[in-house]
Amino acid sequence: MKISKDDVVYIAKLAKLRFSDEEIEKLTVEFESILSHFQSIDRMDLDNVDPDEFADRRESVLRADENVTFGDKEKLFQNAGSMRGTFIQVPRILE
Amino acid sequence: MSGGYAKLNGTDCGFMGIREIRSGVAGGKYSASEITGMYIEKIKAMDDEIGAFLTICEESAAEQAKAVDEKIRSGKEPGRLAGVPVAIKDNICTDGIRTTCASRMLENFIPPYNATVIEKLMSEDAIIIGKTNMDEFAMGSSTENSAFKITKNPRDTSRVPGGSSGGSAAAVAAGMVPVALGSDTGGSIRQPAAFCGIVGLKPTYGLVSRYGLIAFGSSLDQIGPLSKTVEDCALMLEVIQGRDDRDSTSYRGEYHQDYAGRLGREIKGLKIAVLKEYFADGLDSEIASSVNDSIRRLESLGASVDEISLPAAGDGLAPYYIISSAEASSNLARYDGIRYGYRPKEYSDIDELMEKSRSEAFGTEVKRRIMLGTYALSSGYYDAYYKRAQKYRKLLRNQLAGVFDRYDLILGPTSPVLPFKIGERSGDPLQMYLADVYTIIVNLAGLPAISIPCGLSRDGLPIGLQLIGPHYGEPVVLQAAYALEQELKLEL
Repeated sequence: MKISKDDVVYIAKLAKLRFSDEEIEKLTVEFESILSHFQSIDRMDLDNVDPDEFADRRESVLRADENVTFGDKEKLFQNAGSMRGTFIQVPRILE
Repeated sequence: MSGGYAKLNGTDCGFMGIREIRSGVAGGKYSASEITGMYIEKIKAMDDEIGAFLTICEESAAEQAKAVDEKIRSGKEPGRLAGVPVAIKDNICTDGIRTTCASRMLENFIPPYNATVIEKLMSEDAIIIGKTNMDEFAMGSSTENSAFKITKNPRDTSRVPGGSSGGSAAAVAAGMVPVALGSDTGGSIRQPAAFCGIVGLKPTYGLVSRYGLIAFGSSLDQIGPLSKTVEDCALMLEVIQGRDDRDSTSYRGEYHQDYAGRLGREIKGLKIAVLKEYFADGLDSEIASSVNDSIRRLESLGASVDEISLPAAGDGLAPYYIISSAEASSNLARYDGIRYGYRPKEYSDIDELMEKSRSEAFGTEVKRRIMLGTYALSSGYYDAYYKRAQKYRKLLRNQLAGVFDRYDLILGPTSPVLPFKIGERSGDPLQMYLADVYTIIVNLAGLPAISIPCGLSRDGLPIGLQLIGPHYGEPVVLQAAYALEQELKLEL
């Protein structure tokens, strides 16, 4: 399994991660080794298996779609990076 | 190290299990506050050396203990875990108590609610005594991937305690708590239990609510207990299990209520399968011989043991890492630095905020798994990896169901290797992944399994044995584990 540095850079972009050139180099080598082990999955005979995990479950799990008010808003907001009033502050996304 | 126990009124009181603590507290022999204070002292005295805890809940534990004492004084019936201190893996949400997943991402995260298991423990008057170290986001097999500290194995402090629930296992093994909770996605309760010489139970998928467990691989994750004895695991399971509408994968059928009450029953006639694939190349010879000795002991108790072949059992590693990494990449997409979690100091736009947040706050192994998972799910590779892995999973489930048509349990070693030295394997991710080969099929199939100590190596390192049952087969898993524990009578 040949993995190029460009592949790793592309995957990093999808995953919203940034790496240094050195890290990209290292990840490329590790990916090769891990993915070549993963090739073992090609040797298995899986042609006639239906992969639907839930095919044998009898019923769907549903619940009523009801509003529940969270009691202590302060506790909820204490984890946000930046607040203005009851709004979470983020960088401008519309120009 | 493991010989010392907490002191109560100046005397070393030895190991106390749940029944002893509960009856002592309920009967007024000692108070919940005394028990809690004693274990807090023990943690303070020992944990600088072991490093099992990320947070010690001294104040809140004292308040909980006081409330339990008042409840008993007022004549109310004490809960089933009255006064029992429990350590909690730091990926289980505790209201008002920092819950970090051992990650910089959640270094300052204070959950505004309790996980269902925490509510259940507290409603039975247990004391939440601290939060334990782990591999970051439960990704790892040695607890070396914590962003905050290394946890040492109390049996040999130059060695790892296993992982990812290494803090919980080390805390129990060192006697700093009687019981703890961990989580198991591919062996993260059973393998550290084996490495530290204690008991660890991974319940059937769905038996214990995952509400409030910070997600890693949602189709694999399960919360379970770690303890010194099989009986304590059974008593803990009775409390933490149960249907929960806040977890849509929660089991909706009938629950067994009395696991502990069944212990001590004979296991004569029990049919046990041993998988040939578990004794292939790569298994440490001392582990093989210790597990074989336990097989003979079980036969002497009247169980029948057959060696069988389950070809799929040896192939689980690749599908497991594909599925768990794919689920992790999806689950961890929520960490964007906006609503909670680490936010970088400087950023110019929303993309930079997200990318810097994730790149600066996630550790190497977490990033590696997110990358692997993103790759496996990406266009052009999905069919080759993720879909084939799901097919394997179905095949494995079918093959295992066939085994359980004929047998009550499957037996094997928990880990192919003895506890290794700190730093010995951390440079090679694939080597680390290979150590999970015996535990992962249990999660892929959603089965219950327990690891119990079955012997010691020549160097005195613990060896763990795994018993796997059919779905909701906890009663027979615990019953057989208890019978073997009583037969072996290991002095650990």
